[in-house]
Formats: sequence, structure tokens, C-alpha cells
Amino acid sequence: MKGNQDTATLNVGRAATTAQEAAIVLVGNPNVGKSVLFSKLTGKFVIISNYPGTTVEIARGETRLDGEAVAVIDTPGVNELSSRTGDAQVTCDVLRDHPSAKIVQVADAKNLRRALLLTLQLAELGRPQMLVLNMMDELDRCGGRIDIRKLSELLGVPVVPTVATAGTGIHLLQKNVAVACNASDFVARAVAPSSGAAADYDRNVERLRRVNEVMGQCYTLDRPRHPTFAQKIGWWATDPLRGTLLLALALYFMFWFVGLVGAGTFVNFFEEVVFHRHVSPWAIHAVDAVLPFPHQHAMEPSEYKLEIPLTPTRGIALMTSTREVLSSKYNLAPGVTLSWWQEALRFLHDFLVGEYGAITMAFSYGFAIVLPIVATFFLVFSLLEDSGYLPRLAVMVNRLFRGMGLNGKAVLPMVLGLGCDTMATMTTRILETRKERVITTLLLALAVPCSAQLGVLMAMMARISYPAAAFWVLLMVGVAFAVGWLAARVHRGQTSDFIMELPPMRLPQFGNIAVKTLARLEWYLTEVIPLFILGTAILFFLDRLDLLSKITRVCEPLVKGWLGLPPETANAFLIGFLRRDYGAVCLLDAATGSNPTLSAHQVLVAMVTITLFMPCIATMFMIARELGKRTALWVTLFIFPFAFLVGGIVHRLEHILGF
Amino acid sequence: MKKPPHHYHLCPLCGFEFERTETHCADGCPMGRFCNLIRCPNCQYEFPAEPRLLGWVRRLFCREPSRATQREMVGLHELEVGEQGELVCLSCEQHSRRNALAVYGLVPGSRLLLQQKRPTFVIRVGETELAIETGIAREIFVKRIPREEAAFQ
Repeated sequence: MKGNQDTATLNVGRAATTAQEAAIVLVGNPNVGKSVLFSKLTGKFVIISNYPGTTVEIARGETRLDGEAVAVIDTPGVNELSSRTGDAQVTCDVLRDHPSAKIVQVADAKNLRRALLLTLQLAELGRPQMLVLNMMDELDRCGGRIDIRKLSELLGVPVVPTVATAGTGIHLLQKNVAVACNASDFVARAVAPSSGAAADYDRNVERLRRVNEVMGQCYTLDRPRHPTFAQKIGWWATDPLRGTLLLALALYFMFWFVGLVGAGTFVNFFEEVVFHRHVSPWAIHAVDAVLPFPHQHAMEPSEYKLEIPLTPTRGIALMTSTREVLSSKYNLAPGVTLSWWQEALRFLHDFLVGEYGAITMAFSYGFAIVLPIVATFFLVFSLLEDSGYLPRLAVMVNRLFRGMGLNGKAVLPMVLGLGCDTMATMTTRILETRKERVITTLLLALAVPCSAQLGVLMAMMARISYPAAAFWVLLMVGVAFAVGWLAARVHRGQTSDFIMELPPMRLPQFGNIAVKTLARLEWYLTEVIPLFILGTAILFFLDRLDLLSKITRVCEPLVKGWLGLPPETANAFLIGFLRRDYGAVCLLDAATGSNPTLSAHQVLVAMVTITLFMPCIATMFMIARELGKRTALWVTLFIFPFAFLVGGIVHRLEHILGF
Repeated sequence: MKKPPHHYHLCPLCGFEFERTETHCADGCPMGRFCNLIRCPNCQYEFPAEPRLLGWVRRLFCREPSRATQREMVGLHELEVGEQGELVCLSCEQHSRRNALAVYGLVPGSRLLLQQKRPTFVIRVGETELAIETGIAREIFVKRIPREEAAFQ
């Protein structure tokens, strides 16, 4: 990841030599549409959502102004430029590193006061700047009017109205960048420096006084009498009663769409029809043709049932079909001894389409099981993100999270973690103190299953009773709270105040959701598929070198003695170190495969243990990058023994629980 | 608008609120411990303690007059949902917290609307909806803006 950053700087270095003079830095309050504007200007894709803090890293691109390439830099949103607060640090650094860049301040036209507060701070830098009033359509809807010419006169800089999502005003913006200039004396006059801890506050009060003077001359508001439907939904979402109902509704919809439609219907189709009936037999035929040695593949039945799920157990069956298909299991022709050449062919054959084959195992798992689940999850998640619901969820859970030394904002990375823990670990940057980041990261790594694993776990849940499934959910929540509570006591840091802006509820745009889902899928697959192939290869070689049985024997006291599971499941836990969802799929195979070896109670124990594992190796690297190697080491050293500890305790409770 | 617990007394003459232990009678009063009078430490007016039963009946049928409305400055948490207020001062001890509110436009003189109190306070400043914790809401002091006046804003 470090290397990534280096190449980014290198690229910009090259761009800077050609367009040093004309670089543009997009600056603005959080959630005003800087990233939308950035992608409209540069044609580059960046993740855009409806909550403050989507952009945590700077993005760079190029746009053409009068036929000349100009570097554009997108920065995380800031409310003020004082470098004393950590979140403004990145933006301040960018401004310092590009001393000749023009500052394009993006503002939410509805929130002109806050934007102008920032304008004044930028003006004090004494650099060419301009103001973009974005979201003019929303300003119209809430009854506001801004006299743009007057505002431009007062500030002494160009002011351009835009609606970035619709692309209105982008050309005007590109034209006006050339005439960006230093602000008028009235706004640029530095506020009298005062000393002491109250300095920032006093200066902002003085700036706001000036802002109000400007506002008085060019801003009028005639608010409509009745709130819009979107506003009402926003209010309901934070109401204790209606908010809980709305949350339950959202959760059920998510469970239905991801858990039942995604992990049920879609996975069934891809696994049974696409892979089991077409891709695998085709691959077996192809490999057999290329790598011939005398053997005969067995046939096995493939059953497929298409249904629209309603509840986990009931659905509307549309069609069923059964067919005999080629299996990856094979028998050698009787009485034949293979030459060394044929042995070599057989080795390659097994590597590709054998029991631990790259195509029959890694691909079918990666594409048939993970892809549908992850795709449906990211789709729903993008919808939630763009609607503006997530910050309201933070309001609902703030009290609850206080007990864990966190505040409501931590719910954003946690929910994102249900999609991918690695991505979520990066998002913990929106939290203000290190203590919050450490605890959230720990909980993400420990108890928040990512979408891939969640789908597999849901499939495993079919093997256990309802009380056992409820027990699993409660145990995970309980473990998260207990560990969070303990960590909050052990860690000596501070928890920040909960002051959070609630963006307006908006109707998500289809285009943005589609693009965002696809981009996340691409990111996920490029990370997941190589790891699956690596994991399968490790299993394959261990199996070939006869180490798998030895490892099984070594791990027997732990797996059989402590967890009470069959010793063969050791390979599932072994591969779980690489990716816990992969480990889970091995356990799923042991639980529901052709000859299930696990009892219902053992399934529960296995589920608990594998859920608490570290999500994947990529998450570990991400923790090391975000919080340092020491913290990553501690988190890892805590998580694995803890997972086995809890699993063992659940096993010991068999007689008390009764399931 | 918490009702004072019964060991608190309210002087009927000057409205001063005090605890029983704060009352000082003249030394050597012949009434001794049989005395049922309470003396207000503020205006020295003496009045009989309200019998408990009467107190219950009164609280049952009469609403406690909300004296807080007459006060100039109230904590944000004392405002009713839907009420508007003009910010008077922030009593936050940490300056960073004060500044964190200032960047959203919350400085003395700005107007805000209280949208909800539970589970977390949500206020509206201009077009910004802001969620803040109860602990911080208590440190924000505002002047009530009467509804008739607020309607014109």
C-alpha cells in the first residue's frame, strides 16, 4: 500500500512539471459534492456518497482547460483550516505542498454561512481562489435565493453556481478557473491574532460576524410552509420509536435481499447451474483433453430448485430439475501403473480440477458463492449510503456505543464492515481519536462478519435450530460489547464528542449506485480471487506432501479436545488464517456437503470460532498501515486465541444450552 | 422544569428556593422542636410547612407553574421540541469543543431550532441539521424566541 502512495506521488510529480502553474485544489465543507465535481471535471471514478467523510484520501486527476491539461486534486472535507484538529491535516498538507495551485472552494449553497466561514479562512492564505455554489437545485427547493453577482463583488472572487450531479455549470466553472484571484480586502483581512487556547474560537466568532454582514446583503430565505416527504423520513429515522421501526424494516429488507435472494437464489443458480453443470464439466473435459492419463471421472447428481424466497424456510418454488453431471472425483483405469510422465500430468490435472483444484474449488467458490452475495450486499449498501440514512443511524446508536468508548459515528465503519472489513478499516479515519480508531478496528476484525462470510454463515445456519441461530447472533453482539467495553477501559485515550451533521435525505441516483457497486466489486474480486487461488494452492500442496494429515494430527488436541470438532476440520481453520470466509466455506462443506460430518452443536461451535477469526490477511495489512505494525500484531495475537477460547466455552456449554 | 424534591422549600413571598437545613431561627425560641414554621433565609418571611398530604393533592391537581419560561437564559435541554432559541453562550470548558460547534455556525447570536431530544439532541442551524449529545446540549445556553416572533423569521 505504501508503494501505491509512492507511485501516486510520482505520477503527480510528472503532472506537476507540465501543469505546475495550473493545478486546481478542490476544498470545501464535508458532503458538499467535491467528489462529484471532481469526477465530472476529470472523468475519473471516485466513491461518492451522501454522508460526511466519504473521501478519506486525496484523489488526483486531470482536466482540460482551454486545451491544456491541468491537475485536479480532490481533498477530504473540512470545516475549518486550523491544523490543530486532525481532520484538517490532510487538506492543509495538500495546500502547503502545492503553493501555486488555485483553490476552488466547493460550497453547499443551502449552507452558505458555513461555506463563507471557510472562504474567509482560505482568503487569509492570500492565494487565487474561487467559489463554486453547488446544489443550487436544493437551495431553490428550500426557498433560498443568493444574489451571485453581489456575492462575487463582496468577496472579490468569481462565484459559479452549479448542480454537479446533473452536470450544470461545469463549463462555466472551467471557464472561470482562469480568472480566479485573491479575495477582496474585506474578507481577506486577517482576523486579529489572539493567543491562548480560545484563539481558534474567538477568531471564528469574528469571522462569522463578517460572514453575517456578507449574508445580509446577498442571501434571502423564504422557507416553504410544509416539510417535504424526504425531510419527514429524515425526522422519522432519528425518532426513538419510528426510527427503530424504520431500522427493523431496513434490516429485514437487507436480510431478505442479501441473505435470501443473494445467498440463496443467486448462489444456488451460479453454483448449481453455471458451475456444477457447465463450467466444471467443461473444464474437466478441457483439462482431460490437454493432459491425458488413463482415468474415468465419476458422475454425480445435481439438483436445482428455483424459488422466490419469502422466509428462510418458505418460498415460492418456480421449477426444479435434476441431472447427472461430471464430478471432479475420478478412478484410475484398473490395473494400470502410471509412468512418471503420466504422474506429472495427473499432478497438473489435480491442481486444476481435482478435489483442491483451482477451477473446481477456488473459482467456483470465488465466483459462484462470493460474487452474488457481495454484489447484492454492495447494491443495498450503496442505496443506504446515498439515501443519507447512515448518519441518522449513528444518532440512534450513540448512547449504546458510548459504553464501548466510542461515539455514534463509529457505526459508519461498522456497517461498512458488513460489506468488507478491509475497506471499513480504512474508513475508521473519519473517527477523531486514536482510541476510537483502535477499538473500532478491533471490533471490526473480531466480530463484524464481512458479506462473503455472512453469506456462508447464513447457509450454515440452515443446519442449526432457531434458538441456536439466535444464540449465535446474541453471542456475537455480546462479545462485541464486552470486548469493546474492556478495550475502552484498558486503552488510555480519549473519546471525542458526538457532534455530527445530518445530510438531507435524498433519492439515490441509479447511475451512481450502479457505478459504485461495480467499482467495489472490481476492488473486491481483484483482492479475493488471487487469495482464493493461493489458499487452494496451499491446501493442494499440503495435501500432496501429506502434510495435511500431519497438521491435522498436531492440531487434534485443539480442534478435537478443546472445540470438540472432527480433526479433519483443522484444515478449515488453517485456511481461515488466510481468509476466514474461506475457512467458513470449508466448514460449510463439512456441515452440509455430500457426507456431513458435523452435528448441529458442532456446527454452532465451528460458526462461533470462525466468525471471531481475523477477516483476512488483507485486513491485517490494512490495520498495520492504518494503526502501525505493533497494533496490528497485538490485534492478531488477541483475536486468534480469543476465537478458540470462546468456541471452546460454547462447546463446554452444550449440556446447559441443549443445542 | 424538575419539581423540587419535598425537602426543598419555596418561599411564597419572594420565590427563593432553599433547603430546610438552611433556615435559621432565633436562638432560644420557646417553640423548640414543636415549631412548624419555616423561615426563608432570603427575606426572613416565616410560613408553615405544607402538610405532605396537601402537597400530594396539590401536585395531583395543579400544574407546577413553569418558572423557567420567565428566565432569560435556559440550557438547550430545557427547550421544548419545536421551539427556537437564540444562542447566548457556550459554557464548554474545552475550547476545542466550543470551536467544534462554532464551525457549524453556532456562535452567540445565531438562531437554532430544537428538532428532537431523544435519543440524541438534533438541532437545526440555518439549513444544517446537527446531532449533538445531551452532555453538550446542556452546555449550550439559549434565549427562547417566542413562537409568534419565530414564525416571521
